[in-house]
Amino acid sequence: MAGNSGPEFDHIFKLLLIGDSGVGKSSLLLRFTSDTFDDLSPTIGVDFKLKLVTLSGRRLKLTIWDTAGQERFRTLTSSYYRGAQGVILVYDVTRRDTFTDLSEVWLKEVELYSTNPDCIKMLVGNKVDKDAERVVSKQEGIAFARQYGCLFLECSAKTRANVQLCFEELVQKILDTPSLLADTKGVKKNLLRPEEPYNPQAAPGAGNCTC
Amino acid sequence: MGGGGGGGDNETYASMEEANAVDYSAPSRQQDSSYSVASTSAVQVEEELYKKERMTLLQENSVDSTRATDAQSSGVLDDYEVVYVKDNVSVHPTQNALGRISGRLRLIKQGPSLFMTWIPYSHGGLSRQGSNVVVKGGLRNRMGSRAAERDRNLYTIRAVSLSEMRSIRRHTPPFGWQYIIIVLTSGLAFPPLYFHNGGVKEFLATIRNHALLVRSAEDANVYLVNDIQDPLQRSLTSLELTEQPAQPASAPSQEAPWPVILKQEVPAAAENDVKREGSLKQDSRADSLRKRDHARDLSMNVLEKFSLVTKFARETTAQIFGESRMYLDGLDMDRGPAPRPPSDAEVLISGKEAQASFNKGEDSSSGLKSADEEVVDDNLSADDEGDDQAATNVGTFELVDGTQDDSPSLVWGRARPPPLGSEEWRSFLDSEGRVMDPKALRKRIFHGGIEPEVRHVVWKFLLGYFQFDSTYAEREYLIAKKKEEYEVLKAQWQTVSPEQAKRFAKYRERKHRVEKDVVRTDRTLPYYAGEGDDNANISVLRDILVTYSFYNFDLGYCQGMSDLLSPILYVVDNESEAFWCFAALMEHLAPNFHRDQNGMHSQLLALSKLVQLLDRPLHDYFKQVDCLNYFFCFRWILIQFKREFDYENVLKLWEVLWTNYLSEHFHLYMCVALLKRHRRRIMDEQMEFDTLLKFINELSGHINLESTLRDAEALCLHAGERGAGCIPPGTPPSIPDEEAGGWSD
Repeated sequence: MAGNSGPEFDHIFKLLLIGDSGVGKSSLLLRFTSDTFDDLSPTIGVDFKLKLVTLSGRRLKLTIWDTAGQERFRTLTSSYYRGAQGVILVYDVTRRDTFTDLSEVWLKEVELYSTNPDCIKMLVGNKVDKDAERVVSKQEGIAFARQYGCLFLECSAKTRANVQLCFEELVQKILDTPSLLADTKGVKKNLLRPEEPYNPQAAPGAGNCTC
Repeated sequence: MGGGGGGGDNETYASMEEANAVDYSAPSRQQDSSYSVASTSAVQVEEELYKKERMTLLQENSVDSTRATDAQSSGVLDDYEVVYVKDNVSVHPTQNALGRISGRLRLIKQGPSLFMTWIPYSHGGLSRQGSNVVVKGGLRNRMGSRAAERDRNLYTIRAVSLSEMRSIRRHTPPFGWQYIIIVLTSGLAFPPLYFHNGGVKEFLATIRNHALLVRSAEDANVYLVNDIQDPLQRSLTSLELTEQPAQPASAPSQEAPWPVILKQEVPAAAENDVKREGSLKQDSRADSLRKRDHARDLSMNVLEKFSLVTKFARETTAQIFGESRMYLDGLDMDRGPAPRPPSDAEVLISGKEAQASFNKGEDSSSGLKSADEEVVDDNLSADDEGDDQAATNVGTFELVDGTQDDSPSLVWGRARPPPLGSEEWRSFLDSEGRVMDPKALRKRIFHGGIEPEVRHVVWKFLLGYFQFDSTYAEREYLIAKKKEEYEVLKAQWQTVSPEQAKRFAKYRERKHRVEKDVVRTDRTLPYYAGEGDDNANISVLRDILVTYSFYNFDLGYCQGMSDLLSPILYVVDNESEAFWCFAALMEHLAPNFHRDQNGMHSQLLALSKLVQLLDRPLHDYFKQVDCLNYFFCFRWILIQFKREFDYENVLKLWEVLWTNYLSEHFHLYMCVALLKRHRRRIMDEQMEFDTLLKFINELSGHINLESTLRDAEALCLHAGERGAGCIPPGTPPSIPDEEAGGWSD
């Protein structure tokens, strides 16, 4: 498929997008991976995208899981928390319920199902382009992030504002957390794309780097 | 990297054209569209070669000196290359040595494509040219050579693309010549090609240089071309061998079911000895009773039995084949005591029947019985080819192997019949509009689908909105009554005042959720195109879904419902009727959306059991990688593959599923078929939970519907009662507490 530059990467990370239906999870992901914006069909079950990025001189392969928002699919989506290094909690700044659901529903899910105790959480308020309709203030977002120990950004998948930054901040934080790097050197062969043979020399010693 | 491209644009499936899509599932798929184009040019090449060859022949004046060299043959045109030539490759329509047709086998490379041609030598004159060239030193009398000429035309393989080939089987009889049988992905097969001067190995080696050729794990003599479709058959075959308890005594086979069909190009040469069909039959019977002087290859026998070409070519007029129609005679006319020959009517009917008679064991064998019996009776040639016995499927001029579990192999060899058209639909109705034979109707639709122009009517029956035994008048009344009822339901929420809505969170939430989803449902389809809610049909979608969430308040609205409704509204194109059709569908699928997800879990569990039954190694693999929850099939099941196919194919699939013909859970067999089709990749690449889900999601838009339906049908038939036993009662879309399968009758 996509002819990319090669098999080498230093780390492979699993990121998860969660949050209420319609807050723009898939749109954020599409903006991040292909820099486009489109009217997307509601996600059924779970979707998946890949992106290679270079950050702080390290080549990273991001596997990003995009889950259906409706709570009725929760028994399904819960199984996808396994092994994630980062979770992006998305809400819609124009819909308060999507914000309150994060603490009432989604954070509990993370605590319940995440297998990485140090898993990085990132709070993202989407749709800041609709400023006139905004009902959740930035301060509220910051307060939430403080309370629950999350990174925080406001963004717009539509205007692309801050989208790149969301992922970068999250990934940087993961890179800065040694305990999360333990299993990310591509030894999980199944996360490699078929056409990319596992290359054990790809990241010599990167996992030990605690800088 | 193209993250987006690699990510599979599942959301834009509706705009995806199959022709552009890479079809992982079936390389043969493209043959429908591209074959004609590709082969046209190849045919032109062949025409050139044909002319060239004819010249050579005329110059050399002898059959045996047609050793046109490669150099001579190639380079006639610039844009192709002959990469393999073998002379004296023959078809043996009869065991009579005089009846053999020798010719030249070629592999022609044209661009990235490889084509095979087999052109018989012309030594009797080129009837299609209208000329009659008498060859000096010819062995035959005039009549004989004329008949032989017809055979030659019938057997000519002008250009078959490698992409059309499924497999090549090499036969090395203890005595006699090596020969090959080529089976096409369509299930058709060419008659055996005998290599009088050797060269089979070289032939295979040449193909291997240009295409993927894999030796079958089951049979070292079988080479799988392109080898994508194989895993299903292979695993099914191994399954049959290990788990099929009792095989007919006549089944010595250890190989995959072989659909064996003769596909011939039939030129309409003008001949003066025109005969009527009936007399032809007699003649051919008389002919068939002629004594044979030596034991011959059983597979050859069988091929002959069913290929009218072999039998009739010598007797029949080219006119009978003029329209490329083929008749197949299911009887062994070479060997006495010949079973009763079918009348022409029977021949035509039996084709229909054979296609439709797989559902029960008792008739699954009917079409094959004669073949089996013949084989049992056969004591002539007990060499290693005893497995090529076959049965007929006359309607589509197919000849299918009856070796093992017959039905699935029949399914594989069969092309889908055309969809149910309006005229045929009317023939299912009595004068007052009742469907006289609902089961026959469902069977018909299961196999062929429905033409778009009658789809909107027939769907209402399939979904259960109309009763099969209702009259025109009753349905008219029903429509009116249900419209009123719908308006009442709709008014329930439309009359909620803004003040009331303020204090009605559930209502607001539902409406909001529906509104959010309908504006992102199938917008690439012209019917729903537009921005926001500026399309009236989007508003109808919304109204129906909100109304439904009031009609079924406990269930409410859930994502995926808009996917299920969209095609129904598109087809039915009437708000109230679409609502009731949707509501009828939800009677079956509501458990998919239950809060506890029990409906989904029971289907995924049933799927797991089916895979365990039908593909044990794959099951074991999933177990090993901890994937037995089958969550990766969640979307397939939740919305009946709505996101996996383009819109038109979704319609085609759904009407098949809704017939409940072979199984109420045919969609689960679809899942098994798809997994089996990709099993090799899944296991070779050691896909686990993550990669597996990604892989499955990205199959969207790349699945070949028809071949998957065929595979699923074969699997369903094969699984039979054991398959049904994997699916607990009440598993959606079954309605619990109702007579199984009775909902639509």
